[in-house]
Amino acid sequence: MSWLLPSALAIGGIAAVVTVALHFIARSRPLAEPLPTARFIPQRPIHARTRSIALTDSTLLLVRVAALLVLAAAIAAPVFAAARNRVARVVVADRSRDVANIQEVRDTVRAVLRAGDVLVAFDSDAVTTALDSLKQVDTRGSLSAGLASAVRAGAALAPRADSVELIIVSALTAAEIDDATPRIRATWPGRARIVRVASTPATSAVPPRVTTSATTDDPVVAGLALLGVTGTGRVGSAEVRLVRGRVSVADSAWARDAGHVLIHWPADDDNALWPKRNSIDAIGAVASSGGVMVGRFPRLWVLSGRTVARWADGEPAAVEHATGAGCIRDVGVVFDPAGDATLRPAFRELVQPFLEPCGGATATAPLGADGLKALAGEGPLAAGDALRDRSSETSRWTPWLLFAGAGLLILELAMRRSSRTPA
Amino acid sequence: MTNLGQLLDDVRGVHWPSRRAVAGGPAGTHQSKMRGTSAEFTEYRLYRQGDDPRRIDWKLLARSDRAYIRLATDRAVLPTTIVVDASSSMAFPLLSNDKWHQAQRIAIGLAAVVHADGDPIGVAVHDERGNIRVLPPRTRRGVVSEIARVIDSADPDGLDPLAPVVAAVRSPRIAIITDLLGDAEELLRAASVHVVGGGEVHLVHIVAREELDPPARAILAADPEAPTLQRLLVDATRRGYLEAFGAWRAAMARQWRAAGASYIEVVTGEAPSHAVRRIVEPRSMGGARA
Repeated sequence: MSWLLPSALAIGGIAAVVTVALHFIARSRPLAEPLPTARFIPQRPIHARTRSIALTDSTLLLVRVAALLVLAAAIAAPVFAAARNRVARVVVADRSRDVANIQEVRDTVRAVLRAGDVLVAFDSDAVTTALDSLKQVDTRGSLSAGLASAVRAGAALAPRADSVELIIVSALTAAEIDDATPRIRATWPGRARIVRVASTPATSAVPPRVTTSATTDDPVVAGLALLGVTGTGRVGSAEVRLVRGRVSVADSAWARDAGHVLIHWPADDDNALWPKRNSIDAIGAVASSGGVMVGRFPRLWVLSGRTVARWADGEPAAVEHATGAGCIRDVGVVFDPAGDATLRPAFRELVQPFLEPCGGATATAPLGADGLKALAGEGPLAAGDALRDRSSETSRWTPWLLFAGAGLLILELAMRRSSRTPA
Repeated sequence: MTNLGQLLDDVRGVHWPSRRAVAGGPAGTHQSKMRGTSAEFTEYRLYRQGDDPRRIDWKLLARSDRAYIRLATDRAVLPTTIVVDASSSMAFPLLSNDKWHQAQRIAIGLAAVVHADGDPIGVAVHDERGNIRVLPPRTRRGVVSEIARVIDSADPDGLDPLAPVVAAVRSPRIAIITDLLGDAEELLRAASVHVVGGGEVHLVHIVAREELDPPARAILAADPEAPTLQRLLVDATRRGYLEAFGAWRAAMARQWRAAGASYIEVVTGEAPSHAVRRIVEPRSMGGARA
C-alpha cells in the first residue's frame, strides 16, 4: 500500500495531537443548572473557559481523533497496487526527416516493443502511437518533444510496473538536440537504452544560387552579392529566386516546384499585399537563426506562417509558406536604399536561413559520443514509484474514507449535543 | 414530612395576635371592633334613646341620678388562611427542595399557632394537577393534621399564579408563603385590595441560601419557570447578580410594607419554629403597622 499524498497523514497526526491537547483546555458552554433567580444575572455571551488537568470526555476525544485520522487518510489517498513485478518500456522513435530509412526504425521498435509498452513517435512534435502507424514525416526532429512525451507516458505506465525502461530509437543528429534536451532527459529518473539508426545525408555546404530581376543597386541584392550567391544557374541543393517587387503568377508557379525557394522581399510598401499594421512603428533589431542585425527598421506589415526571422519583440519579421513542393518566404525587413546596412557582415549572417531549403536545413552532423553518453545516463532503470504522477492518480478508497469520516463527525456532533442537554 | 412533632412542640404557647381590631364574629381572643356586654369593662357612656335599657348601670343612676350605660370590648375570632406557593421555582435546590420544605414547615407551624389561639385556620395551595385546593378555615380538632396532609400532597411544579388565590380568599387574615418569583406584581395588588378591605396580609418570602450565595464555579443558570431564560453565572457576573437580587428583595420588602402587609424574609436553613416566631411577632408589621 502506498499513499498519494503522504503529507496529509502527517497533518492529520498533528491535528489529532492538537485535539488531545485541547481536551486539556476545554472551552465550552457550561451545563445548564436550574436557578430560580437567574433573571437577576446580568446578560453576557454564554461562553466560559474551564480548565482541567485530566482528559475530559474521553469517548468524545476518541471519536474526534478517529474522525481526524480517517479524514487525513482519505486525503492521503491510499493506493493498493496490483501485482506488477515487471519491467515496462517506453520506446521513443524518431520519424523526422533526419531518419534515412523509417523501415529501420520500425524494425528496431518491433524488436524491443512488448505488449503493454508505449511507443512515442516524435518529429517536431511527439505523439503516442502504434507501431503500424509509424510513418516518416518531412519535418525536423526534436528529441526534447519526444522525451517530454516519454516522461508523461512513463508516469502512466508506472502504477503497473516496478521499473520502466526508456529506449530511444533515433538518428540522433545534432539538429534534434536543443538546450532543453538535457534538462528534460534529467527528469527521467533512470538510464536509457540508445538505439541509433542511420540519418539522412547532411545538406550540401554549397550555398544556393539566388536569381533576381533586381539590379545590384538594390541594397538587398548588393548584400547578397557580397555573400557570393547571386547569379544564374543552379549550383546548390536548392534554387532561390529573390523578388523585390510584386510576386507574379509566374513566380508563384515557379515556387511550386521541388527545391524552389521564392523569397518575396518587397523593397517598399507598394510591393506587398500583406496585412498592414494599424500603426507603423520602428524597431531596433531583427534576428534569425543565422544572426542578429541591429538598426532602425520600419515595421510595416503583420506576417504569419512558419517563422524564419523575428523582430526584437518576438513578432515575425520573415515567414515561410509551403506551396506545392516548394515554398515562398515573405521577408518584411525594409532597408533604406541609401544606407549601407546590407553591406555589413550582420546582414549576411541574418539572411543565411532565408537561403536554406524549404523547411530549413536538413540533417546535420551526428551527435557526439559525449552527447550520447549523457543521453544514455547511468544507474538502474527508472523505478515505477519515481515516475508516478501522483497528482493525477486517484484512490478508490478515498470516497469510503470520506464517508466514514463524515459519519464520525456526525456522531461527534450528536455526542456533543447530548452532553450539552441539562439533566 | 418528618419532624413535625418537634416543630409543633417548639411553637406551643406562641400566639399570633391580630394587628388591628377585627370585625365582629364569634367570641374569640382578638379585640373586636364591636362594643358589647362582655365582662371586660371599658367605659361609661350617657344613655341615648335607642340604647338597650338593660345595659344601664342602675347603681350609678341611683348615685348620680344620671343614666349611663356600661361599654365593654368584644373579643372575636380571626379566621386565617395560609396560601402556599407551589410553583416550580419553589422546588429548589433540585435535589433537596429546601425552599418547598421550608414553606411547608412554616405553613404548618403557623397553622398550629392559629389553631392554638382558637382561630379558624385554612389553607390554599395548588395541587399536583395545578388546581387550587382550598381548605376553608376551621377550628375543629385535627385541622392542623388535615392542613399538613393537603400541603404534603402538593407538588411544586408549573407556573401557578397566586394572585387569583389571594383574591378569592375571604379570611380576614392571610399568610402568603412564596418566593415572589411568579406573579409578584399581581399578588401585591391583590394583597393591597385585601388590606384596604380591612384584612391582614402577612408575606413570608422564602429565599434559598443557594440563591443568596450561588456556587463559585461557572454555571449556566436556567430559570425553571422560563426554560429559555439562561444566564451565565461566572465571576464577572456574580457581583451584578448579588446586587440586583439584593436590590429586588429590598424593593419587595418596601412595597409590601407600604401596602400595609407584613413582610418577613425566611432563608432556607433557618429553624421553622424560629421563623414562625418572627412572623407572628407584632413588630413584624411594616410601615402600615397598627
